[in-house]
Amino acid sequence: MAARRVPLVLLACGSFNPITNQHMRLFELARDHMHSTGQYQVVGGIVSPVSDSYGKQGLVLAKHRVAMAELALQSSNWVTVDEWESQQPDWTETVVTMRYHYRRILKEYERSVGMHNNSNLSPQLKLLCGADFLDTFKIPGLWRDDHVEELVGHFGLVCVSRGELQPERAVHESDLLSYRRHNIFHVREWVKNETSATEVRRALRRGLSVKYLLPDSVIEYIHQHNLYTEDSEMRNKSAVLRPLVKQAQEPVKSLDD
Amino acid sequence: MEGHSITKVVLLACGSFNPITNMHMRMFELARDHLEDTGQYKVVRGIISPVGDAYKKKGLIEACHRLEMTRLATESSDWVMVDSWESLQPEWVETAKVVRHHYEELLASEQNIDDVDTIKYAKKRRIEENHHKDRDELQLMLLCGADVLESFGIPNMWKQEDIAEIVGRHGLVCITRSNSDPHKFIHQSDLLWKYRKNIHIVREWVTNDISATHVRRSLRRGQSVRYLLADSVIHYIKEHGLYSSESEQKNADVVLAPLQRYTGASSS
Repeated sequence: MAARRVPLVLLACGSFNPITNQHMRLFELARDHMHSTGQYQVVGGIVSPVSDSYGKQGLVLAKHRVAMAELALQSSNWVTVDEWESQQPDWTETVVTMRYHYRRILKEYERSVGMHNNSNLSPQLKLLCGADFLDTFKIPGLWRDDHVEELVGHFGLVCVSRGELQPERAVHESDLLSYRRHNIFHVREWVKNETSATEVRRALRRGLSVKYLLPDSVIEYIHQHNLYTEDSEMRNKSAVLRPLVKQAQEPVKSLDD
Repeated sequence: MEGHSITKVVLLACGSFNPITNMHMRMFELARDHLEDTGQYKVVRGIISPVGDAYKKKGLIEACHRLEMTRLATESSDWVMVDSWESLQPEWVETAKVVRHHYEELLASEQNIDDVDTIKYAKKRRIEENHHKDRDELQLMLLCGADVLESFGIPNMWKQEDIAEIVGRHGLVCITRSNSDPHKFIHQSDLLWKYRKNIHIVREWVTNDISATHVRRSLRRGQSVRYLLADSVIHYIKEHGLYSSESEQKNADVVLAPLQRYTGASSS
């Protein structure tokens, strides 16, 4: 008799500037891991590119970032792109995005619950992220405390470690995260893969090949629209990251990747 | 138009390709960018030559599968292709011989543009005559990771004269992985140091350690390898049920072909 598993959806928020194979690996690794706990059945994945008002240096238009993610995920049968966040007039707090998607998922689930009778466990939504994400909780003014509590306490994190970063350390060094550590799932990425969107943009600026780091369709799109040049990287150079302004703390230097 | 002539380069990668991964394909891209960045080279072709089954490496699955997976992986490339010659040989073939074979083929295909004479011995003579002349115009370079460079130091793995032929008459393009120092290795070998001008070290600033070993391990454990290799290759692997605990045990008690062949031979 199989134990009943909680239906789980994974949500990844980020710039996706551009989306890379490494981003898509996060979903694969997270799904395998959550399945192996025996408690979850991953039923969906959502890529939610941030809106242009985020103000991060080098961010190209959301319509491009969404289009590229769509191309990249064409061949995936469980991960999709959602443009809700990118279409909001102002930058949206991660927690607000999560609440929106959770409500949507719950509604869909309630509609279809008659068809799937092997589990009447309510679906959950967790935030999928890299280990560097945990460190951002420490940056003054970037997160509201009550949001971190809701994110980690109510929803939960699936955190994929990359490179040298040790997510366990970030959890250990934060009282709030430590308190909620049962709701933070650590996924080890054994393959050392430092491919980042920053590196991809750098290679593109220098006319170097990025083949096999992102899908061919995305590379083609980038060349067609001439995204990622020296000029595009200078966009928002002196801007302050929107969350820092919106959350009305002392102005802090904008985040470098 | 004044200026130095640009040497055409063909990159040849030998290896197990068990299975071929995105990292293998990245090596070609990195090598091409690096060589062309010097302004002295134009990379015109890439050749992937999977090793024959007689290599007897642990976990090596049949060449026919490895060839087909490589073919699938290179489908989306307009300059890298797979070659089956090495894998079809009944015995294991030394890398130097593979290099030699492909170099001769390349010269022959260049010669035969106007050439009507198909008599084998005449062709061979012509190739030999033109050999030194063509070196400036077309070069074949062996593409490899730093681990292959360092394998030059493993006793009985390589014949010294083969190493000399590869780096002396041809060239080596070596992609460094995160944890090796190829410059030091070259420095410590008189033979390599002598031909250091023909050894091109490509720094991979962005570590991309997708080893085939890791991929096989993930497959055995039913874990996803998506985005580490081409989708078509993953599909092929699933279709044919490749890479299990059984396949990994293949050749477990057998000695690697080069070690078998050279054991007892002295190395300089």
